[in-house]
Amino acid sequence: MIQVQRVSKWFGGQGSPGGGGGGIVAVDDVSFTIPAGQCVGVLGPNGAGKTTTIRMITGYLPPSAGAIRVNNLDTINDSIGARRTIGYLPESTPLYPEMRVRDYLFFRARLYGLARREAKAGVGAAIERCWLKDVAHRRVGQLSKGYKQRVGLAGTLVHSPPVLILDEPTSGLDPTQIRETRSLIKDLAENRTVLVSSHILPEIEATCDRVLIIARGRLRADGAPSALVRQVQHAFAHTVEVQTSPGGREKIHRALAGLPGVVGVQLSGDGSNEQWSRFVVTPTPEASDVREPIGITLAGMGVVCRELRRAEPTLEQVFMRVIESDERRAAAEARAAGGSAAA
Amino acid sequence: MRALCAIAWREYASMFRIPLGWVVVALFVCLSSFFFTKALTPGSPATLRDVFLTWWFLLMFLCPAVSMRLFSEELRSGTIETALTSPSGDAVLVIGKYLAAVLFLATMLVPTLVYVAVLGALSRPDYGPIVSGYSGLLLLGMLYLAVGTLASACTSSQTLAFLGTLFVLLLLDLVPGMIAPRLPEQIAKLAFEFSPSLRAADFYRGLIDTAHITFFLAASVWFLMLATVVLQSRRWR
Repeated sequence: MIQVQRVSKWFGGQGSPGGGGGGIVAVDDVSFTIPAGQCVGVLGPNGAGKTTTIRMITGYLPPSAGAIRVNNLDTINDSIGARRTIGYLPESTPLYPEMRVRDYLFFRARLYGLARREAKAGVGAAIERCWLKDVAHRRVGQLSKGYKQRVGLAGTLVHSPPVLILDEPTSGLDPTQIRETRSLIKDLAENRTVLVSSHILPEIEATCDRVLIIARGRLRADGAPSALVRQVQHAFAHTVEVQTSPGGREKIHRALAGLPGVVGVQLSGDGSNEQWSRFVVTPTPEASDVREPIGITLAGMGVVCRELRRAEPTLEQVFMRVIESDERRAAAEARAAGGSAAA
Repeated sequence: MRALCAIAWREYASMFRIPLGWVVVALFVCLSSFFFTKALTPGSPATLRDVFLTWWFLLMFLCPAVSMRLFSEELRSGTIETALTSPSGDAVLVIGKYLAAVLFLATMLVPTLVYVAVLGALSRPDYGPIVSGYSGLLLLGMLYLAVGTLASACTSSQTLAFLGTLFVLLLLDLVPGMIAPRLPEQIAKLAFEFSPSLRAADFYRGLIDTAHITFFLAASVWFLMLATVVLQSRRWR
């Protein structure tokens, strides 16, 4: 379980609101709780404060304000105890290239205070879990990036921590390696609390039960991916492909444009295909889904329809909306600050 | 304790997994044998005192080369983040790495025991000053490595760590001798008190002074504590 309570972090002086020290606010009054067994993804653009938040949870950085508890252990007052319960993979997966994979994992196990026998068992299990058997005797520096990522992940598992924190675990990997790593994380999340930071949205959507969106150091959205997607009030385009006779295209266009809840109809493509025409129908945000009236209208007209599809809202759209609204807010704040300075 | 041993052993083994460790050992063995054969002349006393004095000079350059990697490499590669988020603690990390460097220094001195055997075969040396000389050299090296550990914790550049260590060692060892003639007697005496190589010279003569031992150990601990503070200060920035 991870509890983050009103945590802020500023660098280079007192940067908190009202502090007036001119510091940079990296994380600003962020609070969230991750119950045991949940897999949570942290999303945000570069420089949003994801890594700083993660570093504070792992005890690498102390928060400037607020408190963090991992498995009910305070990361400041009981830092060593809290660290024992965490398996942490930092961004870019730093490893010792001159070490052999098995030796590296054994070193990690001993670093976490495991006795020789426990360490050997932990290393064996981690090698098995992360499919590293074939490369266990090879030097880390000779491995591909995908394998290095697996070694990094195995390093977080050797002491069987109840909490896993992974910062950009798929950064720099090719699509196959991303798929492998994602499936590995999903496996690991079965009986652990997992916090994954990433800016690759499909990865988070596919892996996590819950998403936190951080922008400019603040928590902007928090919820299950499906719940966040449902919150989006947006006009999602409908694609309609129908069989058209010469001159029939205009008739269908007019019929679709005349439907209640439709604000626009556009012919897709260059219209060179006389037999089949594709229209993009845009509903009003209130109507949102107009597939039924479209279907009924086309059936009534005796038109053959081979595609009627509503674009599904995605986490990417949620993310973009959050970021855009954040940018608008930042611009408004900048204007207000400029105005008051001029006054 | 497990974490301390793990850190020390990993660091020590790493020194032999990269060319730098072997180069340092090879350089020391070659140069020390050169100075030994120069000192080995017919009629001269069967002692290593003058040889130890030249080895001190070698250590001044080789100890920074050993210690420069300790933290700088971890800071550069980012592995420091995994090390500092492990439950071992910052002080254990510093001591573990320092112990590895001291162990490496001791390993580097092992091949020179051949010279003692050669001396024993050719004459009847007094082994007392030889043992105390080695102890002095080890204590001197321990202090040099502690300075190097501090310099390495300060920067992610190994070159800067090497130069920084060398600068401090030159300041400690050579400057007092250079400026002493121009200083009032009391201050010159105080400057010499802080010169590690002058203190070590007593060991080469066969004189084991507890004040000197205390000086070397206390100064080493002091530099290691500073290194721990420097490491911890990275969290505060």
